[in-house]
Amino acid sequence: MAEPVTEERIAVKIDEQYCSRCSICRSLCPFEAITRDAETGKILLQIEKCQVCGICYSACPARAIDTIYYDQGSLLKYLEGAKKKYNSQNLVIMCKGSAPDFTEVERLFGVSGFIPLSVPCVGRIPDEVFLTALGMGIGEIYVLACDEDYCRFDRGSPLAGRRILALNLLLGQLGYGRITLKRSSLKVKVDKDRCISCGNCVFYCPYHAPKLESPGGISFDLAACKGCGLCVVMCPAFALELEHWERERISALIPKLLSEMKPPRILVFRCQWAVFPSLDGKLSPNVRLIDLPCASRVDAVHILDAFQKGADGILVAACSEEDCKQEKAGGKAQRLVARLNERLSKVGFSDRLYFCSVAPRQGDGFNKELEQFSQKIKELSQGAKK
Amino acid sequence: MIVTAQKPLDEILGLVSPYSNILVAGCDGCTQPPRGLREARTLSQLLELGGKLKGKSFNFKVTTLVKQCDSFLTASALKPQVEGVEAVLSLACGIGVQTVAGLFPDLVVLPAQNTHFMGAEDREGGILEERCIGCGDCLLALTGGICPFTRCAKGLLNGACGGARDGKCELSPDRYCAWELIFERLEKKGKLDIIKEFRPPRNYQVKAWRLVP
Repeated sequence: MAEPVTEERIAVKIDEQYCSRCSICRSLCPFEAITRDAETGKILLQIEKCQVCGICYSACPARAIDTIYYDQGSLLKYLEGAKKKYNSQNLVIMCKGSAPDFTEVERLFGVSGFIPLSVPCVGRIPDEVFLTALGMGIGEIYVLACDEDYCRFDRGSPLAGRRILALNLLLGQLGYGRITLKRSSLKVKVDKDRCISCGNCVFYCPYHAPKLESPGGISFDLAACKGCGLCVVMCPAFALELEHWERERISALIPKLLSEMKPPRILVFRCQWAVFPSLDGKLSPNVRLIDLPCASRVDAVHILDAFQKGADGILVAACSEEDCKQEKAGGKAQRLVARLNERLSKVGFSDRLYFCSVAPRQGDGFNKELEQFSQKIKELSQGAKK
Repeated sequence: MIVTAQKPLDEILGLVSPYSNILVAGCDGCTQPPRGLREARTLSQLLELGGKLKGKSFNFKVTTLVKQCDSFLTASALKPQVEGVEAVLSLACGIGVQTVAGLFPDLVVLPAQNTHFMGAEDREGGILEERCIGCGDCLLALTGGICPFTRCAKGLLNGACGGARDGKCELSPDRYCAWELIFERLEKKGKLDIIKEFRPPRNYQVKAWRLVP
C-alpha cells in the first residue's frame, strides 16, 4: 500500500488581505506568537510559538484569522446537526481542561437533556457562535470554563468570562435568556489510608503542592496543584487520584473501546493538548483514543492493561517539552514509555509501544505518526500470523 | 533505607514459571525504590504478558505489606491471602523474603529483588549509594558524620591514605576521597583535633550470628 500523501496543514493563519493591523490578537496572545513588523506594520504569526488556543481567532474583529480547529463554520455546522440529534434547547459548552466528559453536567447546571460541545478552551468561541446558537432556537447556554489560574492557555478562561459578561448585558437588553458560566478545575485527591509516606509525590510535583510531615503524613496545597497527574503516576501505593481522571475511570474505557475495534487494534493515549479531537469524532475501526489531562498522567498500569486485554499496539502522543502546558511533561512521559518498553522487551514483547511528540499546530502531524505506527503494527500482526 | 534492584524480568519469569497461582507481595517499608502495590501490579501484568507469549497462563493476586520483615504484622496480613496460592513472589528485601518463607513453610517464596545495601538516594541524580555497613560499632562521631567504611574505597579507619588527587579517590576519579571530606568537615567545625585520635582496628572476629539483645 502506498503511503498516503498528506499536505502539511497549518493550524492558524492570518490573512493579510483582511487584517486591519489593529493588534488586538497581538495583545491577547498568551504565547507571544504574534508580532507586529516595525517597518511595515504587518501583523505576523510565528507558528512555532503558537499553541492553537484560538483566542486570536475568536477576538479578531476583521475575521482575518483562520483556524482549522473549531472555527465558526464547523461549530455552527456541528450545532445544527447536534440540535436535531439531541432534540434539546440547552447547549452545554465545556472546556476539556475542567471537564473530560459530560457526566457532571446535571450536578453543575441541573439539566439532563442537552446538546454537548466539548472544546479545548472556551476562550476560543467567538461571540457570533453564542448569538447564532440563540438565534437557532437554543434557549439556554451553559458554559464550564477552568478556574482562571488553571487555564492551560493562561488567558482563555478570563477572556471567556469577560465575553460572557458582555454578552449577558446585551442579551438582557434584548430580552433573551442568559448564558450561565461556571468554573472548575480538576486536582489531586489523597487517600491517606493508602499513603506509605515515601515522599515520591513531594519529589516529583513540579508545583511544590505536596507536603510530607511526620507526624501528619501527606497533605496537598490544592491552590498550587495544577492537575498534571504526575504524582498519581509516581505514587507507588495508589494513594493519589486526579479528579475526573481516576485510575478506574480510565481502566473502564479500555475494554469498552477494545470491544468496538477491529484488529489490528491500536489504542492511543493522547495528551488532550497535543492532539485536538475532531468535532465529528470519526475514527478508523482499528483506532480508538483515550484522552489524558497531560502526558504526565500516562500510566504503565493502563498501558499493560490494554495489552493484556488485546490491544495490538499502543501509541502515546504527548506535547514536546517546549509546548507543554505543564512542566516538561512530554519528556517525563517519554522516559516512562522508554522504561516500560525496556521491561516489555525483557519478557519478549517488543515494538508494540511507541511514543510520539506532536502539536496541534501541525495539522497532520499526529495523523502521520498514527499512520506510520498503524503500518508497523499491521506488518507485525501479519508476521505473527505467518 | 534498604536498597534493592529488581532482578531481570526474564529471570523472574523463569522463577515463577513452574507455578500458576501466585501472590505478588509488595513491601511498603524501607525498600528503595518503593516496591508497593503499584509495582506488584505492574510486575504481575508484565509477567502475564511474558507468560502469554510462552503459552503459559498465570493467575496472579497482588497485595502489599506494611513491613514484610515484621513477622507479626506479615503473618496476620498474609494469612487470609495465601489460600490456594502456590508461590509468593516477594518484592521486599532479602529480610522480607526470609520472613515470609519462615512464616509459611508450605509455600514457595521467591525473591523478585536483589538486595544490595543500606543506603540513601540522591533523587536528583537517581542514584542510590551505600552509606552504612551495619558494623555494630558506629564511629560517625569521630568522622564528622561520614562513614569511612562505606565511602572510603579502602575502608580505612585512620585516613587519608595519601593517594587522593584533587579530592578524588585514586581508585576511581568519579568518587570523592572520604577522608578528605572528613577532614574538610571537621575543619569547618573547628574540630580537627578529632582526626588525630587513633581509631583502633575493628573487630572482624565474629561476622555471622550477630544478635542484639
